[in-house]
Amino acid sequence: MTFFKKPKKLKQIIASVQKEDKTETYNEVGESQIEQKQTIEDIVAQIKEPFASTEDLITQWIELPSDDSRVALLYIESIIDRKLIQDQILNPLFELSNEIGMDSLRKMGKLDLTKHTDMTMAQSLLLQSHTLVFTEDTACFYSVSTPVDTKRDITEPDNETILRGAHDGFIENLSINLALIRKRLKTPKLKVKYYRVGKETHTTIAVVYVDNIANPDYVNEVENRIKSIEADGIYAPGNLEESIEDRPFSFFPQMVSTERPDRVAANLMEGRIALVYDTSPTAHIMPVNFFTFYQSVDDYNNRWIIGSFFRLIRLFSFFIAIGLPAVYIATVSFHFEVIPFGLILLIKSSLEDIPYPPLFEAMLMELTIELIREASIRLPTRIGSTIAIVGGLVIGDAVVKAGLVSNLMIIIVAVTAIAAYIVPSNEMSAAVRILRFPFMIAAATMGFVGIVFGFMILLFHLCRLYTFGAPYFAPIAPLSLKDLKDSIIRAPFWVMNRRPQDLDAQKRSLDNQVRKWEKKS
Amino acid sequence: MNSHNITHRQLFFLIVQTQIGVGVLSLPYSLFSKAKVDGWISLILAGILIQFSCLAIWKLCARFPQKTIFEILPKIMGKNLGMVFNIIYTLHFAAISILLLAMYNNIVGKWILFETPHWVIIFIMAFSGSYFITSTPRELARFYTLVTPLLLVLLGLILYAYTDVHFLYLLPVGQAGLSNILKSSSDAVVALLGFDVALVFLAYTSGSANKMLKAISFGSLCVTLVYLFIVVTTFIYFNPLEIIIIPEPVLYMLKAFSFSIIERTDLIFLSVWIISVATSFISYLFVVAKGVQTLFKLQNHQSAAPFIALFCGLIAIIPNEKLEIAAWNKYVSLTSLFFSGISPILFLLIAVIRKKNEKGTASS
Repeated sequence: MTFFKKPKKLKQIIASVQKEDKTETYNEVGESQIEQKQTIEDIVAQIKEPFASTEDLITQWIELPSDDSRVALLYIESIIDRKLIQDQILNPLFELSNEIGMDSLRKMGKLDLTKHTDMTMAQSLLLQSHTLVFTEDTACFYSVSTPVDTKRDITEPDNETILRGAHDGFIENLSINLALIRKRLKTPKLKVKYYRVGKETHTTIAVVYVDNIANPDYVNEVENRIKSIEADGIYAPGNLEESIEDRPFSFFPQMVSTERPDRVAANLMEGRIALVYDTSPTAHIMPVNFFTFYQSVDDYNNRWIIGSFFRLIRLFSFFIAIGLPAVYIATVSFHFEVIPFGLILLIKSSLEDIPYPPLFEAMLMELTIELIREASIRLPTRIGSTIAIVGGLVIGDAVVKAGLVSNLMIIIVAVTAIAAYIVPSNEMSAAVRILRFPFMIAAATMGFVGIVFGFMILLFHLCRLYTFGAPYFAPIAPLSLKDLKDSIIRAPFWVMNRRPQDLDAQKRSLDNQVRKWEKKS
Repeated sequence: MNSHNITHRQLFFLIVQTQIGVGVLSLPYSLFSKAKVDGWISLILAGILIQFSCLAIWKLCARFPQKTIFEILPKIMGKNLGMVFNIIYTLHFAAISILLLAMYNNIVGKWILFETPHWVIIFIMAFSGSYFITSTPRELARFYTLVTPLLLVLLGLILYAYTDVHFLYLLPVGQAGLSNILKSSSDAVVALLGFDVALVFLAYTSGSANKMLKAISFGSLCVTLVYLFIVVTTFIYFNPLEIIIIPEPVLYMLKAFSFSIIERTDLIFLSVWIISVATSFISYLFVVAKGVQTLFKLQNHQSAAPFIALFCGLIAIIPNEKLEIAAWNKYVSLTSLFFSGISPILFLLIAVIRKKNEKGTASS
C-alpha cells in the first residue's frame, strides 16, 4: 500500500523502463477495443504471456454468488501473503458482493483496491507483490498490495559493533530501513527519492537527504549518475558503488558503507546524501572525505578528550599500517646507521641467521596474515578461533624457531596488522592493507627515499581525489582549520557550531547552544 | 568560480615551498666561500633585492590579470620578439629544473643511496614530477600546504645545534669587505630562487591584488629569514676554518647529533628535505609545461608533462662530477639573476612605457 504513496517519479521511471514493450501492448489493447468483445480470459492470457508460463504465477477464478459474473485473481505465489488475499479481497468480496459492482465496493472503503486502466502496469505490479483483480469489465483492473512478510529482526550489525549507543541496524527491507532513519530525523525536510535501476532486476534505491541542508549540486550530481545507469542488473550495493564513484582505479573507498542508521542520520544532518537499498542492509553515504572513515559513533558517546585521543590513535594507525614494515625494511637493508648503538646489537643478533632479504621476510609474513584473515572470515566462529590459534600462535612461533623469520619481523608484522584493523571502516582498512605492499617494495629498492616518494605520491593522490565534486582530503587539503575539530580530533559538542566546509551545505551554521544554563547562574 | 584558482594563502605556501629547496644544504658553504662569516649580510642584501623583484613581478602581472608570463611577453614586446623571449624563458626554467635534479642527485647519491645508479635517482624524481603536474595549480597548492608543517621538523632539528654554539665566530662584522659581500649576494639570490614562479602562478590566484603582493612578498621574507637562521646557525656552530672544507655544513652539523632513539639525524633531515626539493622541482616543471604549452599551442599542459620530465631527466644525468655541477650552477645562477631577478623590472618598465595593459580591454 505504501507503494502508491511514492512520488510520481517512480512511476515515470517504471514507465520509461518498460518503454520497449509498451508500444506492443498498446497495439494489442487498441485492437481489442475495436473488437469491443474481449473476454476476461483473453486479458488474463495477455498478462501471463510475458511471464513465460512460470508456475508460481497463479490465476484464481472466482464466481460471485450474486450474479454469475467471474472475477480473476492474479498473483505470484512466492512473493505474496495468502492470508492477506483472504482478508483483503476474498472475505469482503463474498460478504458485500450482493449486486454491488467492484467500483462501489471500493467507494465503500471496505476494499483497499486501486483501479488501473493502463494494462502495461500489470506486469510491474505483479512483480511488486501485488494481487491483480480482473472483472468482466475488461477496460480496467484492480490491484492490492499483498507483500509476504519476510523481514528478519532488526539486529546490531556484526561488522560495526560499538560499545555505547544504539544497537539497531539496517535489514534487507527498504521501508524498514527508511523507518529507522526517519525515527531519528523527525523533520519534514528529510527527503526520500526512489530510483529503479536494472532493466531486469528493478532494484529500488532510495536517495535520502535533508532538503534545506544538503547542497543541491551534490544531490543533482548523485541523482544524475544514478539516472544514467543502464544495466541489466544491479545486484548488490557494490555494483552501484562502482557505477557512480569518481575514480574506479583508486585504492581508496569513495563512499562510506554502513549498516548503522545512527551513522547515516548523523551524516545526513552534516549535509551528506545517503543511498539506501532494498534487499541490502548496507547504506552508502556520500560525498565523503578521508576522515569520515575514521569517525565512529563511539567517539560521540565517549567523553570528548577520550574521543579525541582515540581519533588521533586511529589516524596514527594509518601511517603505522602503511609505513611501519617499509620503514623497518629500509632501516635494516639501507640505513642501519640510523639505529642507535644499544639497539643495533639486538637487531643484528636477531637478523644474523635469516637466510633471505628483509623484503622477502616481510612479504612472507604479511601474506601469511592475509591468509589467516581470509581463511577465518568465512568460517563459523568456533572454527574461526581455531584458525586464529593455529595461524597466529603456531605459525608465528614455529616460523621464528625454524629460523625462517626474525623475531623483530614478527613484532613489526603483528603491530602492522593490528594497526590496519583499527580503522572503523572495513573498506578503508582493506585499502590500507593493500597499500603497504607497494611501500614495502619502494623501501626495499630505494630505502628512505622510496618511502618519501611513496608518501608524497599517496598524499598527492588524496589531494587530487574528489568525490561527487567534494575534495576527498578535506579539511587538510584544502586546509580548513575550523573543520579540524571533528576530523583530527573530536571537539566537544558545544564547540561544533558549523557544518564541514567541504560539503558546502545550504545551512552552514549549526544551532548548538547546549550550555546556555551556564550564563544564567 | 574557476575550479583552477588558488587563494592568496595558497599562493604564499606555493612560493615558500618553491623557494626552499636544494639551496638549504649548500647555501652556508657558498656564502662562506666568498664573504666569509659576513655571508649573512649578503643574504640579507639578496633578500632585499628579491623583494624588489617580487614587487615588479606583481606589478607586471597585475597589469595583465589571469595571464601567465608566456602570454604577457608577446603582448608587451610584439608577437615575434615575445615568441623569442618565450623560448628563452621556457629554456631558462627548464635549466633551473635540470639543475635542481642534478643537485638533488648529487646530494642523495652522496649521502643516502651510494650504490643506486644515478639515473634511477633522477628519474624517480622526474617522473613523480610529471605525475604531479598533470593536475591543476589548485591541487599543487593544497599539497604544498599539506607538507609545509614538515619544514618545522627541519628547523626543529637545526635548532638542536644551539646546545653548542659560539656567537663570537660571527665577529668581526664586515671583515670580508663590501665588494665580497656584494659578490656573494648573487649566490644567495640563486638559493632564494622560486619567487619567479609567481610569474605563472599569479595568473591562477584569485583575490585582491594587495593580498597577492602580500603573499609573494611575505613568502619571500619568510624564506629569507629561514635561510638566515640556517646560515647563522652553521656559522656559529662551525669554526670558520671548518666550514671551508665541508660543502654541506648543515648535514655535517646534523650528523653530529645523536639521540637515544635515532643515531643519524641527517638521514631524517634529508628524507624531509627531499620533499622540499620535490616541491621546488614540481613548481618549475609546471612552469616549463605551461611554457611548452604556449610555444606548441597545445590544448593543455598535461600532454607535455612526460616529455618534459624525460628531457630534464636525460640532461640531468650528464654531469657526473661535482665540478661540472658547480660549473652549471654558476651559469644558471648568472642567467637566473638576470631573468628572474632583473628582467621582471625591465618588462615592467617596457609595459609602462608602451602603456600596455589588459585592464582596458578586459572591461570592454
